[in-house]
Amino acid sequence: MAVSPVLSPKPNPPGTKATTNASKAKALAILNHSRSVSSPIAPSAATTPGDGGQDLAEQMNDEVRRQFVSGSRLGEGTYAIVYRGHFRSDPSKLVAIKKMKLNAEFKDGITLDSIREMRHLCELDHPNIIKLYAVFTTKDQNISLVLEHLPRGDLEGLWKDHSIMYGGADIKSWSNMLCQAVWFCHESRVLHRDIKGNNLLIAADNTLKLADFGLARGFADPGRPMTSNVITRFYRPPELLLGSQHYGGCVDIWSTACVIAELALRDFFLPSETDLAQLSVITDVFGIPTETDWPGISSLRHWEVNFKSAAPKRPQPLSFWRQRLPLLGDDGIDLLRGMMAMDPAKRLSAEQVLKHAYWTNYPRPTKKEDLPRQGDGEKKMGEDLKRAGGELESGRTDKVARKLNFG
Amino acid sequence: MKLTEDDLYRRSSQYKHWCFTPSKLALLRQKTNIQASERVKANVARQRAQRAKNLDTTSASDSERANTPGVENGADGASGNGGAVGDKEVDCLTVAEEMRLVDKFCETALELGNFIKVPAEVTATTIQYLRRFYLYNSPMTYEGQNIARATMFIACKTEGWHIPSSDYAAKFANVTQEQVLAPEHLIIQALRFNLEVRHPFRGLKGAHVELGEMVKGTYVPLEWDKRTGTQIQSEILKLPKRAGGAPMNLSESDFRKRLEYDYGVASNILKTSAQLTDTYFHYTPSQIMLAAHLLADEPLTLFLLATKVPPPSPIYSKTVDTIRACAAKLSSHRSYTDSSTSLEDKEARDKKEKAEVLAIIKKLRQCRDPDKMDLVKLNEAHKRDAVHDGELDERKAKRRRLDRENAQKEADEFWGPELPKNGAK
Repeated sequence: MAVSPVLSPKPNPPGTKATTNASKAKALAILNHSRSVSSPIAPSAATTPGDGGQDLAEQMNDEVRRQFVSGSRLGEGTYAIVYRGHFRSDPSKLVAIKKMKLNAEFKDGITLDSIREMRHLCELDHPNIIKLYAVFTTKDQNISLVLEHLPRGDLEGLWKDHSIMYGGADIKSWSNMLCQAVWFCHESRVLHRDIKGNNLLIAADNTLKLADFGLARGFADPGRPMTSNVITRFYRPPELLLGSQHYGGCVDIWSTACVIAELALRDFFLPSETDLAQLSVITDVFGIPTETDWPGISSLRHWEVNFKSAAPKRPQPLSFWRQRLPLLGDDGIDLLRGMMAMDPAKRLSAEQVLKHAYWTNYPRPTKKEDLPRQGDGEKKMGEDLKRAGGELESGRTDKVARKLNFG
Repeated sequence: MKLTEDDLYRRSSQYKHWCFTPSKLALLRQKTNIQASERVKANVARQRAQRAKNLDTTSASDSERANTPGVENGADGASGNGGAVGDKEVDCLTVAEEMRLVDKFCETALELGNFIKVPAEVTATTIQYLRRFYLYNSPMTYEGQNIARATMFIACKTEGWHIPSSDYAAKFANVTQEQVLAPEHLIIQALRFNLEVRHPFRGLKGAHVELGEMVKGTYVPLEWDKRTGTQIQSEILKLPKRAGGAPMNLSESDFRKRLEYDYGVASNILKTSAQLTDTYFHYTPSQIMLAAHLLADEPLTLFLLATKVPPPSPIYSKTVDTIRACAAKLSSHRSYTDSSTSLEDKEARDKKEKAEVLAIIKKLRQCRDPDKMDLVKLNEAHKRDAVHDGELDERKAKRRRLDRENAQKEADEFWGPELPKNGAK
């Protein structure tokens, strides 16, 4: 008997002890059966009791991983590598596999970006939000997100590409898809906090999809502070630039309006070189609000430095808007100004935005299938998905935003 | 154009992946238990076999993994009776015993949360992660203390309370950063990468605010409800304190005190009993919230519900039944009866509880999976496998570099070295 364990592959030599639970015994027998080949001496069998020595969770993970086939590399950035892939069961169904890199600088395990993106995309299922099909880990403990394949580039690429012509009805169509995505996020109590042209990807059927939830978070309970250092600078609303730590969906609405204006302008709407300059670019258009325009503004953290002794500035008149954004029409301009009210409390909510007359007025938004489109945008998708949030296209990275701890 | 709570909940990962009927839940736990027991037995047997072999051949080969924690507890490793004692079958934990342990881990997590002072929802998320984790893993495989600490660290990250792992580890005695981080992948994988947990806390706050409006007379009833705000106010002030009690007529300010009291009781139930039972697996956050409120103040909760669903509707009675069932589950936990139990009874009960859990922990020592004892080493081994690939690449790169340098050298020998640039000597 002393040698029997060496020879017997079974951990449970028959006859040593009667198993008490009948159903359990049956299950054990099945497991034993499937394991009869392995030998405890071979090193490979050390963790191989039939199930490959795997936890149930590992088995599930492998099942998920096997559903997808990874193909050529589409792009690589500091935080992720993006591969083209497809469903094993249906090779015509394409996916983008975003493999998150382990960040050497971040000493605390899985990065907060990955965590935020996983947490929120798992919950958000909407035609205008990038779909997360699955998540799995590879052997080297890298998390891979299996995302919708969106091969037609991004919105910023679209307005930058001057070979493409588009008009007011097309802008209305894209803007509407964007606003629906934002509305859905807010209804689901999620703040995106990084809405901008190159986070808006375009699917093969021309549907616009909001992507990159690396800076997203749930709505905070009233009174609990959040970081004001989010959203790529050009799209950052004045209250964040003034250091507000309590905010809601209104910050995304500002960014959304910037994107719509960009589409109509075919240029950045409020570009600047520094955070300080950003505030003055904004006030050049919207004026410097007084305590009457925006009750509570003077209690914001950075108000004193920026506005206390600044010379008064008046907002631009309607003629300025008509001249700059003729493609939007008066109703479009009215919507945009509602979305860009300096006082966040006066800004339109996502729901109010969708109820605005602009959407139903003439011209009707272009049907999806008739929208102008870019040629090969697959590479662009790779570029966009690998990028970290808060980064500008030109590579001027807003590094500060990344390094802070997002509350 | 509003999404209802129900629409949102049905799209959530909590509903899709973490909602079970009681029988399904039991089956899953049984499956996990069988698999873990199997593995413990297999691994212990393998170890014993190895030990017996080592005894035979005196000089064990180096290739064999010396991963045998059973050996050092000299008791049964004494040379004379090596194999014979080893043949005794491992007595594994039952599902019920595992559940007692998981409950214990969750209680510990509750204390842990208080100890490191994180907000209640971080602790609650930790506990729900733990409960989810142990649906697919057994305490025999992964021991609770390390897992609970690592899980709380993850919950801090997901709930936006990130603390650097070094600071986090420093809050405990003898805990390293590696110990906190090592099981991270293991845990997140078992959570199926679903990091969002929907809690009933915010719902309770909402109900509290709304009840306050009703008491003030400023509540605006739903469309089908033909009562005015003032009517609702006079009705609510007359509500009896207990089900079946005599109608009262409290003043607005007294009723406000009642609301505060109810909120406190319900909130406490949500932070304890709701976490320490299986309620999240069976009920929606709003059902749990209403059940806790029902336990705090039944007439008021039913009144609130009747402003949302007309009582003649079959949905009303169905909802009440569900809430009652949930309330029964919540009140079955011993933390619920704490306030109404006499001190001696409580002490006796806690003592018994403690003794039982200790007995299970003692039993656990005999049936731990020897392969999964040291999570830090396990994680390093995982990473080593992965880094291995990288090393190969590095070697390749080095060879290419040497080739390139050699080619350069050969070219130099043939053509002579590069000529000095203009101006240089």
